[in-house]
Amino acid sequence: MHRRITCALAAMLLVAGCGGAGDQGGSQSGGTAGAPPSTSGFDGTTIRLGVLSPLSGPVAVIGQPLTAGNKIWFDALNQRGGVAGKYKVELVQEDTQYKPDVTVQQYNKVKGNVVAFTQVLGTAPTLAVLPQLKTDKVLAAPASLDALWVREPNLLPVGGPYQIQVINALDHYLTVGGGSKNSRICTMIQDDVYGEAGLQGLQYAAEKYGFTIATAQRYKTGTENFTGQIQALAGCQMVFLTATPTDAGKIWGTAAQAKFAPRWYAQSPAYAAAMAKSPITPYLQQTAIIVAEGTEWGDEKVSGMKDLVSRTTQFGPSQQPDYYLAFGYNQARAMTAVLEKAVQNGNLSRDGILNALNQLGKVSFDGLTDDYQYGPAETRNPPRSSTLFAVDPAKPFGLKTVKYNTSSDAAKAFEFKKTG
Amino acid sequence: MAKPHRDLVRDYRQDLRLFGSPTARAGLVAMLVGLVMLPMVVQDDFWLSVLVYVGITAVGAIGLNLLTGYCGQISLGHAFFIGAGAYVTGWVGSDLPLYLWLPAAALVGGMLGAVIGPFALRLRGHYLAIVTLGLVFIGEHLWRNWRGLTGGNSGTSINAQVALGPVDFNRVELAGEVYSRNQGYFWLVWVLVAIVALLVKNLVRTRPGRALQAVRDRDQAAEVIGVRAGRYKIGAFVVSSAIASVAGALFGSYQQFVSPDEWNLLLSIQYIAIVIVGGLGTVFGSILGAVFVGALPALIDRFGDAIPGVRTGVGGEGFISVFALNQAIFGVLIVLFLVFEPRGLAGIWLRIKAYFKSWPFSY
Repeated sequence: MHRRITCALAAMLLVAGCGGAGDQGGSQSGGTAGAPPSTSGFDGTTIRLGVLSPLSGPVAVIGQPLTAGNKIWFDALNQRGGVAGKYKVELVQEDTQYKPDVTVQQYNKVKGNVVAFTQVLGTAPTLAVLPQLKTDKVLAAPASLDALWVREPNLLPVGGPYQIQVINALDHYLTVGGGSKNSRICTMIQDDVYGEAGLQGLQYAAEKYGFTIATAQRYKTGTENFTGQIQALAGCQMVFLTATPTDAGKIWGTAAQAKFAPRWYAQSPAYAAAMAKSPITPYLQQTAIIVAEGTEWGDEKVSGMKDLVSRTTQFGPSQQPDYYLAFGYNQARAMTAVLEKAVQNGNLSRDGILNALNQLGKVSFDGLTDDYQYGPAETRNPPRSSTLFAVDPAKPFGLKTVKYNTSSDAAKAFEFKKTG
Repeated sequence: MAKPHRDLVRDYRQDLRLFGSPTARAGLVAMLVGLVMLPMVVQDDFWLSVLVYVGITAVGAIGLNLLTGYCGQISLGHAFFIGAGAYVTGWVGSDLPLYLWLPAAALVGGMLGAVIGPFALRLRGHYLAIVTLGLVFIGEHLWRNWRGLTGGNSGTSINAQVALGPVDFNRVELAGEVYSRNQGYFWLVWVLVAIVALLVKNLVRTRPGRALQAVRDRDQAAEVIGVRAGRYKIGAFVVSSAIASVAGALFGSYQQFVSPDEWNLLLSIQYIAIVIVGGLGTVFGSILGAVFVGALPALIDRFGDAIPGVRTGVGGEGFISVFALNQAIFGVLIVLFLVFEPRGLAGIWLRIKAYFKSWPFSY
């Protein structure tokens, strides 16, 4: 027995050459402006970016087009020469299945060979990797419109948060949508973080415009029967819906069968293109307004949309018109702005990327979403505007613009606080 | 005086030894060396994080195996106790040191188990499965609405202290070397796997363990010969839930963020799959099952691009995604195990051992 322990100790001494991995990923300097030295994720010619997205499972309907949007932007950029005209961008895609623990594993898998993450999809997965992003000093672009992200120095959000969508929708309803302070205004939300964001926006609007929320119905994702909730909403003149496509389809189907026809306003993730080619289409045409950003697919008047359509035909010919594709495309554009700045400073290390974001000013998205004022987390200002759409099966994505890029005073006054 | 052959057992105490044969002792030393050395050799964050999750799962699986494999009480409520452990850590982990919050989680889990245990006295088999199934849903409602503790739907970050005296597992400094958080956690988690495995192994080879197995095989007959079945059923629930809470506590402190979406029925079912694939009624099997279920998807994920026909990203070539391939392989393996090796991975291990015991002769 004693001899064995001695052997074991000897073996340990033999391999003591291996050891700690605690001091890796340090920052480098010594680059000249416009020619950064190689660092983790950058070999001197190619910049590698991570994508943590649900490419399988129930949320893949969102993850797939979003990632395709990332890819279309970067393919087009690479064709023009790449970042600063000389560095090509390569994506490292990992499937998270929309699960927080898998996301943490995949993050660990690729963090050593990417300079930043151009997409992390989902509120819970993003929150799960956030502590590590802070420790590792890595920048990531979350693919969700949570207000939580605005004040986080390690995150690069795009677009107007969910709360802003709700406030602008209520403003529209109360000014031109036929509603008043005394209307019966209700809401139906998914019972999770995303639903809470919608409710927070509605509560803020209620305070600002002086109405009361008659009832707030919650439901769990994947519910089969919505009859109870729809009955509880009876008598509501306006219902704001915070949902995802699968549930939203069932909810509207149940409402249509029950001949319950309030004025529906819905958060952008509630809509999917298939809804414009389904039995509930006529019902939605009469009752629903979707609050999102940007413009309808194929709108030649908006220059950003013109580029997006031509690039999609070139680099993703099999892609269908899709709101999420445009979102991924916008994310990639914001990340490119950060990379350009970092190359200009001659530093693509993790510290260099975070510095570049702090020095970044206003980034324009050519009308696909409103301009975003970046910079240090505490002074960032996200877009305050939304676009209201009605359902129209004749349009490519099934949505036609009702009001383009509107921003209410209440939305402009909304303050974003730091997460706890 | 010639010594008797090493496999000859001459009294009862000898039969109960944990590490009876020289081979078993050598194996123990090899395992300990592996435990110490592995993180120094495998410095890759991805593999370390996979192994940390596997270790956490192994702790939880040992707990479930004690309840289901040794005592025969089916439970679909395992996810509830794991969640409870994680939230206890979130609640007290930042104020208390590691040697206090980990037992605190175990204590709370044990108490919850004591509340659920009595149901097992009146119910058996499928009925018990349905009652414990209810636990998952009650738990889910609780986690979504008890905002003060769980942060509601938004989830909660967990900042637990993981230092034992001068050793901080977030950044271990030894002999001038600095070890990363993943390396530190590997040691913490796998040492706990070893401790929990030893505790359970000790429990099942002694009087209470034999009582548990008697209850599993024929609970009424056990009552007749003087085993107080009720006491042991509740006891098994208490210990198993306490171990599950320890697993949850480790999970929460490692991931640093948990949301109510994690403690669902799927997690409970995954644990049942682990103890079946590993081998019911064995401690070693629980660990093997956790390694198998945790590491196989990671392996396929890592080397998916080398397999022809597998699509690794959007816009890539291939006809089956990594995830779909994983699901298919996992399903096929479970079926194959149940058909060809009902005793699970541990059964294969026992067979190999038995073969070499009489080698080169066949019996």
